[in-house]
Amino acid sequence: MMVDSPDRPEPLTGDRNLETEEFVVNMGPQHPSTHGVCRLILTMDGEVIKKVVPDIGFLHRSIEKIAENRTYHQFMIYTDRIDYVSSMNANHAWCVAVEKLAGIEVPERAEYLRVIMAELNRIASHLVFLASFAIDLGAVTPFLYAFRERERIVDLFEMTCGQRLTYNYMRIGGVSKDVPKDFVSETKKFCSYLYPRVDEYEAILTENPIFLGRTKGIGLLDLPTAINYSVSGPPLRGSGLKWDIRKDEPYSAYEKFDFDIPTGENGDTWDRYKVRIEEMRQSARIVEQALEGLPEGGIKAKVPARFRPPQGEAFARIEAPRGEMAYFIVSDGSTKPYRVKIRTASFCNLQALPVMARGWKIADIVAIFGSLDIILPEVDR
Amino acid sequence: MTPEELTSKIKATFAEKVEELPAVTGIPAFKVKPEHLEEVCTTLVSDPELNFDNLPCLGGIDYPETNEIGVVYCLFSFAKRHHLNLRVIMPRDNPEVISVSKFWVAADWFERETAELFGIKFKDHPDPRPLLLIEEWDEGYPMRRDWEGKDFIRMPETGQEK
Repeated sequence: MMVDSPDRPEPLTGDRNLETEEFVVNMGPQHPSTHGVCRLILTMDGEVIKKVVPDIGFLHRSIEKIAENRTYHQFMIYTDRIDYVSSMNANHAWCVAVEKLAGIEVPERAEYLRVIMAELNRIASHLVFLASFAIDLGAVTPFLYAFRERERIVDLFEMTCGQRLTYNYMRIGGVSKDVPKDFVSETKKFCSYLYPRVDEYEAILTENPIFLGRTKGIGLLDLPTAINYSVSGPPLRGSGLKWDIRKDEPYSAYEKFDFDIPTGENGDTWDRYKVRIEEMRQSARIVEQALEGLPEGGIKAKVPARFRPPQGEAFARIEAPRGEMAYFIVSDGSTKPYRVKIRTASFCNLQALPVMARGWKIADIVAIFGSLDIILPEVDR
Repeated sequence: MTPEELTSKIKATFAEKVEELPAVTGIPAFKVKPEHLEEVCTTLVSDPELNFDNLPCLGGIDYPETNEIGVVYCLFSFAKRHHLNLRVIMPRDNPEVISVSKFWVAADWFERETAELFGIKFKDHPDPRPLLLIEEWDEGYPMRRDWEGKDFIRMPETGQEK
C-alpha cells in the first residue's frame, strides 16, 4: 500500500489535458545506420515518428552527364561506381541495355559467366545486407560470419578479374576474361559451403525473440503502396508480389535455370529480411546449375573499339540485388550516348521510407532503413 | 496485352491526342502534347484494360538543335504485364508540364530531379524543392546538352564519332 504524502506529486490521470510538442531530430548525414551519407529529418512527437523527410544528394556525381561525355565502352567503369556493393549487376544492366540497343548477339558461354558472376555478387550483396542489418539491431556476431563468407566470393572475383570491389568485368558483347582453371571447382565448393552457413544465420537470427521483437510487424508496406511508389526487389516481394525480372522478363540466360521466387506475407521488416535470406539459397542454386551447364565457346562477341550503335532508343531493366535497375539510352549514332537515364532501385525504395516509418519509434527507423538495403551512391548517382 | 494490341488500343482510345513514335526496343512509344497529359494519364491509370499502375522510370531529354526539351515516362502495368513509353515535348524556353505524382507517387522524386537538372517546371508538384544539387546551386541546368560548367571538360572530339 502506498501512503499519501504531501510531497508526492498528484498521479497523472487520463482526463488531464497534456499537450505534446513536436520537435525535429536530424539524423545523419554521418550516421552509422544510414549506410552512407543520407540525412533524415525526423519530426518527432516524444518517441514517435510523425514525419520523415529524407535529404539526399550528398554523393551526387552526375553520372548521367558523365555518360554523355564517354564512349559506350568507357562508361562501363562508371556503372561499377553506381552500386559498388554489387557492381557485377550494375555492369550487367549496362551491357544488357547497350546490347539491346545495338542488337548484339552474346555468346552463350559469356551469358552463363555473367549469370554466375551476377548471382555470386547477389549473394555477396545480401551478405553485406545481413551483416549491416544485424549490427544495426545490435547483433554483432552475424556481421563477422557474413563477411567471412563474402571474403570467399570476393576471392573468386579476384581470381577472375583481379578486382575486389569495382570489378569492371563485363564488356559490351561478353565478358573481359574467361574464368581461370580452378574457378569452377572452387565455386562449387563455395556453394556447398554456403547452404549450411545460411542455415546457421537463420539459427542465430530468424526465430530469435529479440530479433523478432525488433522486426516482426514493424514498418509495414502494403502492396498497392509499394507498386505506386515503384518499390522493387526484396521490399516488393516482401509485400507479397511474386515478381522477379529474372523470371518474368528473362534476360541473359536466366530462362534456362530453375529457381524459386521467395515472397513475404505482411510486408514488414522481417519479411524483407527473410526474402533476402531465401534469395541467397536460390542464387547458389542458379550458380550450381550454371556451372554444371557451362558451355564451351567464345566469351565475347566482336564489338569494334569505336563502337557506334544505330540511332535509336533502348530501355532495359534487370533484377539487381536491391531491385530493378534500368537504363534508358538514347543513341544519335555516334560513339557516345546522347542521353542515359539510370533508374536505380534504392532511389525509389528510399522514397517509400516515410510511409513505412510513420508512427514507429526512432529505434525502429534504423531497422526499417536497414531492411530496405539502401546504397547511397545508387540513390544519388 | 501484346505491344501490337496495346498500340492499337492506345490509338483507338486517344485518337489525335497521341502521336505514334518508333518503338523503344519493342515497347510502344507515343508523344503527348503537354496539355493532354493529365487526361491521357487519367485514362491510362483508370481504364481496366490499360491499368498502368507502375512508373519505373521518368527522365528528361534535351534537343537543343530543334530548341525542344522533353520528359520521358516509362510506364508498366503489374496487373497486365505491359510496357508503355510516353513522352512530352515542349519548347525549350519555358518548359512546363503537369506533375504526374498524383497518379504515381514514384514520380515525386523523379520530377524533382528532372526539374533541377533540366529546368523543366512541373505544375502542381507537391514538394517542388531541389533534390540532388546543393541548395545554393546557381550554375544553371547541368543536364542540358549545351551546359557549360567551370569543372566540366568535354572529351576532345576525334572526328570519328559519326
